[in-house]
Amino acid sequence: MIQIKNLHKYYGTKDSKTEVLKGISLEINDGDFVAILGASGSGKSTLLNVISGLEPADAGTVCYNGQNICGMSDGEITLFRKKTIGYVFQQYFLLPNLNVEKNVKMGADLVKNKDYRSLIEAVGLAGKMKKYPHELSGGEQQRVSVARALAKRPKVLYLDEPTGALDEATGRLVLDLICSLKKELAFTMVMVTHNQNIAEMADTVISMNSGKIVTQYQNEHPKSAYQIAW
Amino acid sequence: MIVNFKDIYKMIGMFIVSFCAVLVSTMFLNYYLDLITVENLITTEVSQIFYEAQCSTSKVVSTVSGGCLLLTTVVLLCFDIRHYVDTRQKQLGVLKALGYTRLTIAGNFRMFGLPVFAGTALGYAFAHLLMPKLYELQNKDGYLPEVPITFHPKLCMALVLLPTIFFSILAILYSYIKLKVPALQLMREQSAYKIVPAKKDTDLPFLQELQRSNVRQKKSLIFFITFAVFCFSAMTQMSFSMDELASRMMSIMVMAIGLVLAVVTLFIATTSVIKANRKTITMMKVFGYSAKECQKAVLSGYRPWAYLGFALGTVYQYTLLKIAVTIIFKDMEGVPDYQFDLPVMLIALAVFLILYEMLMFSYTKKIEQLSVKEIMLD
Ligand SMILES: Nc1ncnc2c1ncn2[C@@H]1O[C@H](COP(=O)(O)OP(=O)(O)OP(=O)(O)O)[C@@H](O)[C@H]1O
Ligand SMILES: [Mg+2]
Repeated sequence: MIQIKNLHKYYGTKDSKTEVLKGISLEINDGDFVAILGASGSGKSTLLNVISGLEPADAGTVCYNGQNICGMSDGEITLFRKKTIGYVFQQYFLLPNLNVEKNVKMGADLVKNKDYRSLIEAVGLAGKMKKYPHELSGGEQQRVSVARALAKRPKVLYLDEPTGALDEATGRLVLDLICSLKKELAFTMVMVTHNQNIAEMADTVISMNSGKIVTQYQNEHPKSAYQIAW
Repeated sequence: MIVNFKDIYKMIGMFIVSFCAVLVSTMFLNYYLDLITVENLITTEVSQIFYEAQCSTSKVVSTVSGGCLLLTTVVLLCFDIRHYVDTRQKQLGVLKALGYTRLTIAGNFRMFGLPVFAGTALGYAFAHLLMPKLYELQNKDGYLPEVPITFHPKLCMALVLLPTIFFSILAILYSYIKLKVPALQLMREQSAYKIVPAKKDTDLPFLQELQRSNVRQKKSLIFFITFAVFCFSAMTQMSFSMDELASRMMSIMVMAIGLVLAVVTLFIATTSVIKANRKTITMMKVFGYSAKECQKAVLSGYRPWAYLGFALGTVYQYTLLKIAVTIIFKDMEGVPDYQFDLPVMLIALAVFLILYEMLMFSYTKKIEQLSVKEIMLD
């Protein structure tokens, strides 16, 4: 259970301070799939960064099973991320000097997961194991980034537009993989997306606008990756 | 436009090294030039021998230390430029793609001559301040007639202006060569990672894998770290031995310069390792690798090379002094035979170990402070 209470985040210095998150409160149950929609610049990535402990909040609390991560030391929060969090970034952030296999291994090694190659195959990159990031297309890099996060077997997975660079077929493939692993490993998932249709796969859908949650509703019947329109 | 003042001010290494080089060279060359004017005033045989020994030591000191330091400055400069180009590939690539010519971009790198100018000019001025003391010390037994201090403009030309021009041109040339890669390759930050695939496919844990690939792909850093420790090792040990062979002043100077040089080069080397691996380290932190693990993966691979540098430095200083003693002092009596000094080596090794580990420790702290957001905006 993740409890977020009255979260505030500011950027900039005193003179030009902008409030990017304006008091966000939210509860996410274990095993939930939450989709976050919202216009560009509405604070989605920032929210993900703050609740996953990548950035400190300026006010408010984020509790994982009752444990507040705001106010943890750097060492504690790193350990927390190791045990709990998986992250797929909007800009992928692969390690440039390591090949695909080793990039995924970075996640896998943290939990002694030996079965990471099957994940690379599952995202359709079996033939590119030995390629380096700069030799891959944007979409291929994105898939490596997804495989890397999944290889870590996280308890909570954060995805920032994981299908933004993918075509329909590959997009569905990746989403289907994520969902089937979610069923198997029962992790919690929070996904930012621009695609209304993808939101239909989620249990909970949240819309953000300029740093606030404007609507929030439950999906009675979440669809699968092959049932949604694209 | 591309290289601005703020970037230059970080090139403190080049400044320090050129300062040291010119300080020593100016003092001893100036002394040498003044010394030869008193040659015909020498009457006794003892003074004549003393005079010749003084001539050769000043020549040796200024060429050895000046030459060594000049070489170091060249290495530092190339390293700085290389690092500069590597970390700003995107920006340079975009400029190239927009149509700026290679020469226009490379021309901006002439700014790299500035730290050399500042260092040499200051070193030159400082040398003149120290000179009376040196002259007095060199002739403290009164074997020679009084050597007057004169100002030699040609030294100023040779030691301040020439290096500045030389290094500006070198900077332009070197960056010109480095910018030869196609714009797209620069934009994709491809050439920063000259991918050197492993010889055979290994299945090591990720951390070891990363450590190996770092060592494999950053050859220049290996050279640099080995070189820094080499300087440190040779200079500290040499200065102890000089204490017996030559004047105390010289040994203190060699020691001070060696230490400054080694610390500066080591510092620059490790800083650039960290900078070059910022993204990697941050991503590892995001995934939950501890600062200690990051430090280990990124920096530990260089440790064997550092030790190699130390060993090489030891051998080098031994050989050099052995040769010096046999050649320079061969006519002089009462010069002790030079022997390898084990305790000195052990002390130097201990100091090196402490310094090295302290530096690594401070980098662990630095890694802890890297913020994720900063990297993401890059
Ligand atoms: N470091 C920063 N300094 C100042 N402002 C920032 C900083 N980072 C983000 N912002 C601002 O915060 C706002 C929210 O950014 P955020 O990245 O969370 O948007 P987003 O909803 O993820 O947008 P997108 O869909 O385009 O990815 C933006 O208006 C942005 O300009
Ligand atoms: Mg975003």
